Amino acid sequence: MLVPILKQGPYLVASIQSALTDSDLFHLRDELVDRVGRMRSRGVIIDVTVLEVLDSFACRVLRDLANMIKLRGAEPVIVGIQPDVAFAMVQLGLSLEGVVTALDLEEGLAYLDQQKAGGRERGR
Amino acid sequence: MAESDSQSLTREMGLTQEEIARRKDFLELGDKDIERLGRLHNLAESYAESVIEEFYKHLLSFQESRDFFKDPALLQRVKGAQRKYFSELTQGTYDETYIESRLRIGLTHERINLPVKLYLGMYSFYLRAIASRFLDAKKNRPAEALLDVLSILKLVFFDMGLAIETYIHQREATISAQQEAIRELSTPVLRLRNRLLIMPIIGMIDSHRASQLTQQLLQRIRLDRAKVVVMDITGVPTVDSAVANHLIQAVEASRLMGATVIITGLSAEVAQTLVRLGVDLAKIHTVGDLQEGIEEAEQLLGYELKRLPDQQETK
Repeated sequence: MLVPILKQGPYLVASIQSALTDSDLFHLRDELVDRVGRMRSRGVIIDVTVLEVLDSFACRVLRDLANMIKLRGAEPVIVGIQPDVAFAMVQLGLSLEGVVTALDLEEGLAYLDQQKAGGRERGR
Repeated sequence: MAESDSQSLTREMGLTQEEIARRKDFLELGDKDIERLGRLHNLAESYAESVIEEFYKHLLSFQESRDFFKDPALLQRVKGAQRKYFSELTQGTYDETYIESRLRIGLTHERINLPVKLYLGMYSFYLRAIASRFLDAKKNRPAEALLDVLSILKLVFFDMGLAIETYIHQREATISAQQEAIRELSTPVLRLRNRLLIMPIIGMIDSHRASQLTQQLLQRIRLDRAKVVVMDITGVPTVDSAVANHLIQAVEASRLMGATVIITGLSAEVAQTLVRLGVDLAKIHTVGDLQEGIEEAEQLLGYELKRLPDQQETK
């Protein structure tokens, strides 16, 4: 199951549509890390709203992916973690440390816009 | 409670056959003692009435116990129970039925709130009264009489253990019922402003309540699209490392949903315990009290609170 990656201005949005296998996750990772450079994106949003489970493997891949995106010069945000998923994750000790999370796509975009504005101010 | 069930209390208190055997072993209450006690039955029956009368005369010479047994009907009932109790002491079998009966006696006394000191005093009085009667009965065989006394002593201690445990059991049942009631008082999640929730927590937090509370909070975060949550723990009596971990979990889970949690109301004692326990609080954002917490939350959300100039004058 491929994950569509949409370009939205200076951002990329990877919107996961259904449960992913481990290889799908790897594929998504490779694709995103590649595209973030090609598209010169400032931010990347990974939408996990539809996922009902985030296991330790998926969490590790997401964390790695976020770190790779940071190294490529963009800001990663994971959005749409559901209440039950969040609860299960902390119980398993998976907290995606160091990764920015937001409630949903809208919030994620707002966060990135805010970051962009802050960066411009700093640049002045 | 199912009074009809003849051994419900024994089961409820977890007194299995093995446990009973262990208790008897510990007190060294063996077959010999039981046999000895059985042989004393006729003797015991002969003096039972007089001992009980003596005891109540003694008991009622104290103002406190007189107040307690004001109702003559109650006194009569208790005396009847004592008579039965007495005769059971030397019945020669100390099985589940016997134990259930002892537990019932304990339960009854607990229900009427008989102080434990009176209870123990009663045992002491009976032991002394019985001992002197045993000695009288076997004047020329004091060694024999002593063994009789020792046997009855073991049994009385066995009884006392059961009775006191009924007291404790009942009190514990009350405590856990109250805890349940507190737990059931749901912890409200309130919307203070757009995207700002407050959650005052009152009462003990255990793992069951913590998970219930966290899930409730997460649902509300999604529903209200909250960005900041102020969690006030002024009403949490004790915060140990387990409670701290529950709080950390709630904070982390909220963060995964993009919400910041501010914890307020950590008392000086709580702060001291947490640091002494070495709980890692780096992940928790805490401020002094609820007011500060709300102010900080408003700041995070970009609100600014201003008093109107003309209002200032009238104040």
